[in-house]
Amino acid sequence: MINLIYKISAIISFSILSLNISSHHAFTAEFDANAPINITGKVLKVEWINPHAWVHVEVEEKGKKTTWMVEGGTPNTLIRNGINKESIKPGTVIVVRGYQSKGKLCLPRCIANGRDVTFPDGRKVFMGSSGTGAPRDGADPRERR
Amino acid sequence: MVSGVQNSLLIIFFLCISAFIYSEDYQPAKTWFGDPDLQGVWTNASLTTLERPDYFDSLEISEEQVIAAKNNSERFNEALDNPYETGETPESGGDVGGYNVAWMDPGNDFIKLNGKYRSSIITYPENGKLPRRLTRWAIEGPSIYRMFTRADHPEERSLGERCIVGFGSSGGPPMLNVLYNNHYQIVQSPGYVMIMVEMNHDARIIRLNSDHNPDNMKPWLGDSVGWWEGETLVVKTINHHPQQKFRAAIRHQILMMEEAEVTERFTRTGTNEILYQFEVNDKKAYRETWKGEMPLRSTNSKMYEYACHEGNYAMANILAGARAEEKQ
Repeated sequence: MINLIYKISAIISFSILSLNISSHHAFTAEFDANAPINITGKVLKVEWINPHAWVHVEVEEKGKKTTWMVEGGTPNTLIRNGINKESIKPGTVIVVRGYQSKGKLCLPRCIANGRDVTFPDGRKVFMGSSGTGAPRDGADPRERR
Repeated sequence: MVSGVQNSLLIIFFLCISAFIYSEDYQPAKTWFGDPDLQGVWTNASLTTLERPDYFDSLEISEEQVIAAKNNSERFNEALDNPYETGETPESGGDVGGYNVAWMDPGNDFIKLNGKYRSSIITYPENGKLPRRLTRWAIEGPSIYRMFTRADHPEERSLGERCIVGFGSSGGPPMLNVLYNNHYQIVQSPGYVMIMVEMNHDARIIRLNSDHNPDNMKPWLGDSVGWWEGETLVVKTINHHPQQKFRAAIRHQILMMEEAEVTERFTRTGTNEILYQFEVNDKKAYRETWKGEMPLRSTNSKMYEYACHEGNYAMANILAGARAEEKQ
Protein backbone atom coordinates (compact mmCIF):
# COMPACT_ATOMS: atom_id res chain seq x y z
CA MET A 1 0.00 0.00 0.00
CA ILE A 2 2.80 2.40 0.96
CA ASN A 3 4.58 1.57 -2.29
CA LEU A 4 1.42 2.42 -4.21
CA ILE A 5 1.15 5.79 -2.47
CA TYR A 6 4.80 6.50 -3.25
CA LYS A 7 4.28 5.63 -6.90
CA ILE A 8 1.17 7.80 -7.22
CA SER A 9 2.93 10.72 -5.55
CA ALA A 10 5.96 10.30 -7.82
CA ILE A 11 3.75 10.16 -10.92
CA ILE A 12 1.97 13.33 -9.84
CA SER A 13 5.36 15.02 -9.40
CA PHE A 14 6.36 14.04 -12.92
CA SER A 15 3.03 15.26 -14.30
CA ILE A 16 3.36 18.64 -12.66
CA LEU A 17 6.83 19.01 -14.07
CA SER A 18 5.96 18.00 -17.58
CA LEU A 19 3.06 20.45 -17.64
CA ASN A 20 5.07 23.38 -16.41
CA ILE A 21 8.61 23.06 -17.72
CA SER A 22 8.26 24.29 -21.24
CA SER A 23 10.34 27.41 -21.04
CA HIS A 24 12.24 29.73 -18.77
CA HIS A 25 9.00 30.06 -16.86
CA ALA A 26 5.60 28.46 -16.63
CA PHE A 27 3.38 30.17 -19.22
CA THR A 28 0.33 28.64 -17.56
CA ALA A 29 1.14 30.69 -14.46
CA GLU A 30 1.33 33.92 -16.42
CA PHE A 31 -1.40 33.63 -19.05
CA ASP A 32 -5.11 32.93 -18.87
CA ALA A 33 -6.26 29.94 -20.92
CA ASN A 34 -9.77 31.42 -20.87
CA ALA A 35 -8.70 34.71 -22.42
CA PRO A 36 -7.67 33.99 -26.03
CA ILE A 37 -6.69 36.91 -28.25
CA ASN A 38 -6.50 37.45 -31.99
CA ILE A 39 -5.20 40.95 -32.63
CA THR A 40 -3.79 42.80 -35.62
CA GLY A 41 -1.68 45.88 -35.17
CA LYS A 42 1.44 47.84 -35.93
CA VAL A 43 4.75 47.10 -34.26
CA LEU A 44 5.79 50.01 -32.06
CA LYS A 45 9.07 48.52 -30.89
CA VAL A 46 10.73 45.26 -29.97
CA GLU A 47 12.51 44.85 -26.67
CA TRP A 48 15.38 42.49 -27.48
CA ILE A 49 15.92 41.46 -23.90
CA ASN A 50 16.42 38.25 -21.98
CA PRO A 51 15.03 35.99 -20.78
CA HIS A 52 12.26 36.76 -23.30
CA ALA A 53 11.86 39.38 -25.98
CA TRP A 54 8.73 41.56 -26.04
CA VAL A 55 7.03 42.94 -29.13
CA HIS A 56 4.98 46.07 -28.52
CA VAL A 57 1.98 46.30 -30.83
CA GLU A 58 -0.53 49.11 -31.24
CA VAL A 59 -4.00 47.83 -31.99
CA GLU A 60 -6.71 50.19 -33.18
CA GLU A 61 -10.36 49.15 -32.83
CA LYS A 62 -13.31 51.48 -33.28
CA GLY A 63 -11.03 54.49 -33.05
CA LYS A 64 -9.51 53.38 -29.76
CA LYS A 65 -5.81 52.55 -29.60
CA THR A 66 -4.53 49.88 -27.23
CA THR A 67 -0.92 48.86 -26.78
CA TRP A 68 -0.13 45.20 -26.26
CA MET A 69 3.14 43.68 -25.07
CA VAL A 70 3.60 40.28 -26.65
CA GLU A 71 6.01 37.81 -25.09
CA GLY A 72 8.40 35.81 -27.28
CA GLY A 73 11.45 33.69 -26.49
CA THR A 74 15.13 34.42 -26.03
CA PRO A 75 16.60 36.77 -28.62
CA ASN A 76 19.81 34.70 -28.54
CA THR A 77 18.24 32.07 -30.79
CA LEU A 78 16.83 34.61 -33.24
CA ILE A 79 20.18 36.35 -33.56
CA ARG A 80 21.75 33.00 -34.43
CA ASN A 81 19.04 32.63 -37.06
CA GLY A 82 20.00 35.95 -38.57
CA ILE A 83 17.04 37.91 -37.21
CA ASN A 84 17.98 41.16 -35.52
CA LYS A 85 16.66 44.59 -34.60
CA GLU A 86 16.49 45.59 -38.25
CA SER A 87 14.36 42.58 -39.19
CA ILE A 88 11.17 43.80 -37.57
CA LYS A 89 10.76 47.49 -38.11
CA PRO A 90 8.27 49.76 -36.34
CA GLY A 91 5.14 50.13 -38.40
CA THR A 92 5.13 46.51 -39.59
CA VAL A 93 1.63 45.05 -39.37
CA ILE A 94 1.46 41.71 -37.59
CA VAL A 95 -1.19 39.31 -36.33
CA VAL A 96 -0.81 37.90 -32.83
CA ARG A 97 -2.76 34.93 -31.59
CA GLY A 98 -2.31 33.69 -28.08
CA TYR A 99 -3.66 34.33 -24.60
CA GLN A 100 -3.87 37.41 -22.42
CA SER A 101 -2.11 37.54 -19.08
CA LYS A 102 -4.06 36.64 -15.95
CA GLY A 103 -3.60 40.19 -14.73
CA LYS A 104 -5.79 42.25 -17.07
CA LEU A 105 -5.35 45.77 -15.81
CA CYS A 106 -3.66 46.78 -19.07
CA LEU A 107 -1.69 49.37 -17.15
CA PRO A 108 0.24 50.69 -18.87
CA ARG A 109 -0.14 48.01 -21.55
CA CYS A 110 -2.07 44.82 -22.10
CA ILE A 111 0.03 41.66 -21.99
CA ALA A 112 -0.20 38.48 -24.07
CA ASN A 113 1.95 35.60 -25.20
CA GLY A 114 2.85 35.30 -28.88
CA ARG A 115 1.67 31.72 -29.34
CA ASP A 116 1.54 32.45 -33.05
CA VAL A 117 2.89 35.65 -34.62
CA THR A 118 2.41 36.12 -38.35
CA PHE A 119 2.15 38.70 -41.06
CA PRO A 120 -1.41 39.29 -42.29
CA ASP A 121 -0.82 36.85 -45.18
CA GLY A 122 -0.03 34.05 -42.74
CA ARG A 123 3.77 33.98 -43.04
CA LYS A 124 5.59 33.59 -39.75
CA VAL A 125 7.26 36.73 -38.46
CA PHE A 126 9.85 34.74 -36.59
CA MET A 127 11.10 32.27 -39.12
CA GLY A 128 14.14 30.11 -38.98
CA SER A 129 15.41 26.62 -38.46
CA SER A 130 15.00 25.70 -34.86
CA GLY A 131 18.22 23.78 -35.04
CA THR A 132 20.82 26.45 -35.61
CA GLY A 133 23.75 25.95 -33.31
CA ALA A 134 23.13 22.24 -32.99
CA PRO A 135 25.89 19.68 -33.21
CA ARG A 136 27.40 19.61 -36.66
CA ASP A 137 28.20 16.18 -37.93
CA GLY A 138 27.40 16.72 -41.57
CA ALA A 139 24.14 14.81 -41.42
CA ASP A 140 21.97 17.85 -41.98
CA PRO A 141 22.64 19.85 -45.16
CA ARG A 142 20.99 22.90 -43.59
CA GLU A 143 23.66 23.18 -40.94
CA ARG A 144 25.60 26.40 -41.01
CA ARG A 145 29.33 25.95 -41.46
CA MET B 1 64.47 3.67 -57.33
CA VAL B 2 61.75 6.13 -58.29
CA SER B 3 59.17 3.49 -57.50
CA GLY B 4 60.72 2.96 -54.06
CA VAL B 5 60.53 6.69 -53.27
CA GLN B 6 56.94 6.79 -54.46
CA ASN B 7 56.05 3.86 -52.26
CA SER B 8 57.72 5.51 -49.27
CA LEU B 9 55.83 8.73 -49.89
CA LEU B 10 52.59 6.82 -50.18
CA ILE B 11 53.23 5.03 -46.89
CA ILE B 12 54.03 8.34 -45.17
CA PHE B 13 50.90 9.85 -46.71
CA PHE B 14 48.65 7.04 -45.46
CA LEU B 15 50.26 7.14 -42.02
CA CYS B 16 49.48 10.85 -41.83
CA ILE B 17 45.91 10.29 -42.99
CA SER B 18 45.45 7.47 -40.46
CA ALA B 19 46.69 9.67 -37.64
CA PHE B 20 44.22 12.34 -38.72
CA ILE B 21 41.28 9.95 -39.01
CA TYR B 22 41.63 8.08 -35.73
CA SER B 23 40.64 10.36 -32.91
CA GLU B 24 42.41 8.25 -30.29
CA ASP B 25 45.65 9.52 -31.76
CA TYR B 26 44.50 13.09 -31.56
CA GLN B 27 46.83 15.22 -29.51
CA PRO B 28 45.12 18.37 -28.29
CA ALA B 29 46.97 21.63 -28.36
CA LYS B 30 48.31 22.90 -25.07
CA THR B 31 47.66 26.17 -23.36
CA TRP B 32 50.61 28.46 -22.74
CA PHE B 33 50.85 26.98 -19.23
CA GLY B 34 50.92 23.42 -20.56
CA ASP B 35 47.40 22.05 -19.89
CA PRO B 36 45.43 20.38 -22.70
CA ASP B 37 43.45 23.13 -24.40
CA LEU B 38 39.67 22.79 -24.03
CA GLN B 39 38.96 26.44 -24.71
CA GLY B 40 36.32 27.64 -27.09
CA VAL B 41 32.56 27.82 -27.53
CA TRP B 42 30.81 24.44 -27.51
CA THR B 43 27.27 23.17 -27.80
CA ASN B 44 25.48 20.07 -26.59
CA ALA B 45 22.22 20.78 -28.45
CA SER B 46 20.85 17.44 -29.55
CA LEU B 47 17.66 15.53 -30.18
CA THR B 48 19.04 12.79 -27.94
CA THR B 49 17.52 13.05 -24.50
CA LEU B 50 18.95 12.07 -21.13
CA GLU B 51 16.71 9.03 -20.83
CA ARG B 52 15.96 6.58 -23.62
CA PRO B 53 12.46 6.92 -25.08
CA ASP B 54 10.39 3.75 -24.91
CA TYR B 55 10.36 3.42 -28.69
CA PHE B 56 14.10 2.67 -28.71
CA ASP B 57 15.38 -0.57 -27.23
CA SER B 58 19.14 -0.12 -27.44
CA LEU B 59 21.78 2.53 -26.80
CA GLU B 60 23.00 2.50 -30.37
CA ILE B 61 20.39 3.06 -33.05
CA SER B 62 20.39 2.74 -36.80
CA GLU B 63 20.36 5.52 -39.36
CA GLU B 64 16.84 4.45 -40.38
CA GLN B 65 15.63 4.86 -36.79
CA VAL B 66 17.27 8.27 -36.62
CA ILE B 67 15.63 9.40 -39.87
CA ALA B 68 12.22 8.26 -38.63
CA ALA B 69 12.70 10.00 -35.28
CA LYS B 70 13.87 13.21 -36.95
CA ASN B 71 10.85 13.16 -39.23
CA ASN B 72 8.61 12.78 -36.20
CA SER B 73 10.42 15.66 -34.53
CA GLU B 74 9.91 17.88 -37.58
CA ARG B 75 6.22 16.97 -37.75
CA PHE B 76 5.88 17.78 -34.06
CA ASN B 77 7.55 21.16 -34.54
CA GLU B 78 5.38 21.84 -37.58
CA ALA B 79 2.24 21.17 -35.56
CA LEU B 80 3.55 23.19 -32.63
CA ASP B 81 4.30 26.09 -34.94
CA ASN B 82 0.93 26.05 -36.71
CA PRO B 83 -1.60 25.68 -33.92
CA TYR B 84 -4.39 27.58 -35.66
CA GLU B 85 -6.06 27.81 -39.04
CA THR B 86 -5.76 31.13 -40.86
CA GLY B 87 -8.01 33.67 -39.16
CA GLU B 88 -8.90 31.30 -36.36
CA THR B 89 -8.94 32.64 -32.81
CA PRO B 90 -7.47 30.35 -30.14
CA GLU B 91 -10.15 28.51 -28.23
CA SER B 92 -11.09 29.46 -24.72
CA GLY B 93 -9.74 26.90 -22.30
CA GLY B 94 -7.13 25.84 -24.83
CA ASP B 95 -3.44 25.20 -24.42
CA VAL B 96 -1.74 28.48 -23.56
CA GLY B 97 1.45 27.20 -25.19
CA GLY B 98 4.49 29.37 -25.61
CA TYR B 99 5.74 30.98 -28.81
CA ASN B 100 6.80 30.18 -32.36
CA VAL B 101 9.35 27.37 -32.76
CA ALA B 102 11.89 29.74 -34.29
CA TRP B 103 12.71 30.95 -30.80
CA MET B 104 13.91 27.49 -29.80
CA ASP B 105 17.15 25.72 -30.59
CA PRO B 106 16.84 22.10 -29.50
CA GLY B 107 19.27 20.64 -32.03
CA ASN B 108 18.46 18.86 -35.25
CA ASP B 109 20.32 15.60 -34.93
CA PHE B 110 21.01 12.75 -32.56
CA ILE B 111 24.24 12.26 -30.66
CA LYS B 112 26.81 10.35 -32.67
CA LEU B 113 29.77 8.75 -30.92
CA ASN B 114 32.29 6.43 -32.55
CA GLY B 115 30.22 6.63 -35.71
CA LYS B 116 27.05 5.32 -34.04
CA TYR B 117 23.90 7.25 -33.22
CA ARG B 118 22.77 7.20 -29.59
CA SER B 119 19.22 6.86 -28.26
CA SER B 120 20.04 8.28 -24.81
CA ILE B 121 22.72 10.23 -23.02
CA ILE B 122 22.57 7.66 -20.23
CA THR B 123 24.92 4.76 -20.86
CA TYR B 124 24.32 3.03 -17.53
CA PRO B 125 21.95 1.54 -16.43
CA GLU B 126 21.84 -0.29 -19.70
CA ASN B 127 18.12 0.38 -20.16
CA GLY B 128 18.92 4.10 -20.51
CA LYS B 129 16.58 5.06 -17.67
CA LEU B 130 17.33 6.84 -14.43
CA PRO B 131 17.33 4.39 -11.52
CA ARG B 132 15.08 6.66 -9.52
CA ARG B 133 14.09 5.92 -5.98
CA LEU B 134 10.38 6.59 -6.20
CA THR B 135 10.24 7.03 -2.44
CA ARG B 136 12.49 10.08 -2.77
CA TRP B 137 10.30 11.55 -5.52
CA ALA B 138 7.27 10.99 -3.35
CA ILE B 139 8.92 12.73 -0.40
CA GLU B 140 9.92 15.70 -2.54
CA GLY B 141 6.60 15.81 -4.42
CA PRO B 142 4.84 18.38 -2.20
CA SER B 143 7.77 20.82 -2.52
CA ILE B 144 7.68 20.45 -6.31
CA TYR B 145 3.93 21.01 -6.32
CA ARG B 146 4.26 24.21 -4.27
CA MET B 147 6.99 25.51 -6.56
CA PHE B 148 4.69 25.48 -9.56
CA THR B 149 1.41 26.44 -7.95
CA ARG B 150 2.20 29.06 -5.31
CA ALA B 151 2.95 32.68 -6.13
CA ASP B 152 2.71 34.61 -2.87
CA HIS B 153 6.20 35.98 -3.43
CA PRO B 154 9.07 35.43 -5.89
CA GLU B 155 10.99 33.07 -3.59
CA GLU B 156 8.22 30.50 -3.92
CA ARG B 157 8.82 30.12 -7.64
CA SER B 158 11.40 27.92 -9.33
CA LEU B 159 15.05 28.93 -9.65
CA GLY B 160 14.77 29.26 -13.44
CA GLU B 161 11.81 31.64 -13.20
CA ARG B 162 13.73 33.67 -10.64
CA CYS B 163 16.77 33.85 -12.93
CA ILE B 164 18.96 32.29 -10.26
CA VAL B 165 20.26 29.41 -12.41
CA GLY B 166 19.09 27.94 -15.69
CA PHE B 167 16.18 25.53 -15.72
CA GLY B 168 16.84 21.83 -15.84
CA SER B 169 20.46 20.80 -15.37
CA SER B 170 21.84 22.98 -18.17
CA GLY B 171 24.44 24.44 -15.79
CA GLY B 172 25.10 21.05 -14.29
CA PRO B 173 26.70 19.11 -13.10
CA PRO B 174 25.99 17.12 -15.16
CA MET B 175 25.49 19.67 -17.94
CA LEU B 176 22.45 18.53 -19.93
CA ASN B 177 20.87 19.84 -23.11
CA VAL B 178 17.63 21.81 -23.03
CA LEU B 179 15.43 23.50 -25.64
CA TYR B 180 17.66 26.52 -26.26
CA ASN B 181 20.80 28.28 -25.01
CA ASN B 182 22.82 25.08 -25.22
CA HIS B 183 26.14 26.87 -25.56
CA TYR B 184 29.11 26.67 -23.22
CA GLN B 185 32.32 28.67 -23.27
CA ILE B 186 35.40 27.15 -21.65
CA VAL B 187 38.22 29.45 -20.52
CA GLN B 188 41.37 28.16 -18.81
CA SER B 189 43.95 29.90 -16.66
CA PRO B 190 46.66 28.44 -14.43
CA GLY B 191 44.87 26.53 -11.68
CA TYR B 192 41.34 27.14 -12.95
CA VAL B 193 38.86 26.09 -15.61
CA MET B 194 35.80 28.27 -16.10
CA ILE B 195 32.72 27.10 -17.96
CA MET B 196 30.30 29.85 -18.90
CA VAL B 197 26.87 28.32 -19.38
CA GLU B 198 24.71 30.31 -21.77
CA MET B 199 21.47 29.39 -20.07
CA ASN B 200 21.21 32.04 -17.38
CA HIS B 201 24.81 33.07 -17.88
CA ASP B 202 26.03 30.83 -15.08
CA ALA B 203 29.77 30.50 -14.56
CA ARG B 204 31.14 27.23 -13.25
CA ILE B 205 34.55 27.87 -11.72
CA ILE B 206 36.56 24.68 -11.26
CA ARG B 207 39.61 24.84 -9.02
CA LEU B 208 42.39 22.52 -10.13
CA ASN B 209 44.35 20.36 -7.69
CA SER B 210 42.48 21.92 -4.81
CA ASP B 211 40.59 20.64 -1.79
CA HIS B 212 36.85 21.01 -1.56
CA ASN B 213 35.46 23.86 0.47
CA PRO B 214 34.00 23.07 3.91
CA ASP B 215 30.80 21.03 3.73
CA ASN B 216 28.67 23.90 5.02
CA MET B 217 29.41 25.81 1.80
CA LYS B 218 26.95 24.72 -0.87
CA PRO B 219 27.21 27.10 -3.84
CA TRP B 220 25.01 27.25 -6.93
CA LEU B 221 26.20 24.55 -9.35
CA GLY B 222 27.96 22.78 -6.48
CA ASP B 223 31.58 22.85 -5.30
CA SER B 224 33.80 21.63 -8.16
CA VAL B 225 37.47 20.71 -8.06
CA GLY B 226 39.40 19.16 -10.90
CA TRP B 227 42.63 17.56 -11.99
CA TRP B 228 44.21 16.22 -15.14
CA GLU B 229 44.51 12.52 -15.85
CA GLY B 230 46.62 12.52 -19.00
CA GLU B 231 44.66 14.49 -21.57
CA THR B 232 41.40 14.24 -19.59
CA LEU B 233 40.10 16.89 -17.22
CA VAL B 234 38.37 15.15 -14.32
CA VAL B 235 35.97 17.26 -12.26
CA LYS B 236 34.42 16.18 -8.99
CA THR B 237 31.49 18.13 -7.59
CA ILE B 238 29.94 17.79 -4.14
CA ASN B 239 27.88 19.96 -1.79
CA HIS B 240 25.12 20.82 -4.21
CA HIS B 241 22.91 23.76 -3.29
CA PRO B 242 19.81 22.47 -1.51
CA GLN B 243 17.52 24.60 -3.67
CA GLN B 244 18.94 22.97 -6.78
CA LYS B 245 17.51 19.64 -5.75
CA PHE B 246 14.91 19.66 -8.52
CA ARG B 247 16.25 20.07 -12.01
CA ALA B 248 13.52 19.88 -14.52
CA ALA B 249 13.14 20.65 -18.20
CA ILE B 250 11.07 19.07 -20.92
CA ARG B 251 13.94 16.76 -21.79
CA HIS B 252 15.00 15.68 -18.36
CA GLN B 253 13.78 15.63 -14.80
CA ILE B 254 16.36 14.75 -12.21
CA LEU B 255 16.85 15.02 -8.48
CA MET B 256 20.24 15.97 -7.12
CA MET B 257 20.56 15.80 -3.36
CA GLU B 258 23.12 17.88 -1.44
CA GLU B 259 25.19 14.77 -0.71
CA ALA B 260 25.45 13.68 -4.35
CA GLU B 261 28.86 13.22 -5.91
CA VAL B 262 29.16 13.98 -9.62
CA THR B 263 32.30 13.10 -11.56
CA GLU B 264 32.75 14.58 -15.03
CA ARG B 265 35.42 13.85 -17.63
CA PHE B 266 36.31 16.21 -20.46
CA THR B 267 38.54 14.74 -23.18
CA ARG B 268 39.28 16.62 -26.37
CA THR B 269 38.97 14.01 -29.10
CA GLY B 270 39.36 16.28 -32.09
CA THR B 271 39.62 19.85 -33.23
CA ASN B 272 35.85 20.21 -33.08
CA GLU B 273 34.83 17.82 -30.33
CA ILE B 274 35.13 17.19 -26.61
CA LEU B 275 33.91 13.87 -25.23
CA TYR B 276 31.91 14.73 -22.12
CA GLN B 277 31.31 11.85 -19.72
CA PHE B 278 29.80 11.87 -16.27
CA GLU B 279 28.59 9.70 -13.45
CA VAL B 280 26.22 10.56 -10.66
CA ASN B 281 26.48 8.89 -7.30
CA ASP B 282 23.46 9.91 -5.26
CA LYS B 283 22.32 7.13 -2.97
CA LYS B 284 19.37 9.08 -1.60
CA ALA B 285 17.74 9.74 -4.95
CA TYR B 286 18.92 6.77 -7.05
CA ARG B 287 19.20 3.04 -6.52
CA GLU B 288 22.63 2.93 -8.14
CA THR B 289 25.23 5.17 -9.79
CA TRP B 290 24.16 6.29 -13.26
CA LYS B 291 26.42 7.30 -16.11
CA GLY B 292 26.18 9.22 -19.34
CA GLU B 293 28.18 10.67 -22.20
CA MET B 294 27.77 13.04 -25.11
CA PRO B 295 29.94 15.12 -27.40
CA LEU B 296 30.40 18.84 -26.95
CA ARG B 297 30.84 20.20 -30.45
CA SER B 298 32.58 23.40 -31.38
CA THR B 299 30.42 26.08 -32.91
CA ASN B 300 31.13 29.24 -34.82
CA SER B 301 28.25 30.86 -33.00
CA LYS B 302 29.06 33.47 -30.41
CA MET B 303 28.02 33.26 -26.81
CA TYR B 304 25.35 35.82 -26.08
CA GLU B 305 24.69 37.23 -22.67
CA TYR B 306 21.52 35.88 -21.11
CA ALA B 307 20.90 38.69 -18.67
CA CYS B 308 17.80 37.08 -17.26
CA HIS B 309 17.32 39.48 -14.35
CA GLU B 310 17.33 42.54 -16.56
CA GLY B 311 14.16 41.75 -18.43
CA ASN B 312 12.33 39.23 -16.31
CA TYR B 313 8.90 40.84 -16.69
CA ALA B 314 7.38 37.39 -16.43
CA MET B 315 7.93 37.20 -12.69
CA ALA B 316 5.91 40.37 -12.09
CA ASN B 317 3.25 39.08 -14.47
CA ILE B 318 3.02 35.73 -12.65
CA LEU B 319 2.63 37.44 -9.28
CA ALA B 320 0.09 39.92 -10.70
CA GLY B 321 -1.80 37.01 -12.22
CA ALA B 322 -1.96 35.25 -8.87
CA ARG B 323 -3.33 38.43 -7.24
CA ALA B 324 -5.94 38.75 -9.98
CA GLU B 325 -7.03 35.15 -9.41
CA GLU B 326 -7.34 35.79 -5.69
CA LYS B 327 -9.83 38.58 -6.38
CA GLN B 328 -12.08 36.35 -8.42
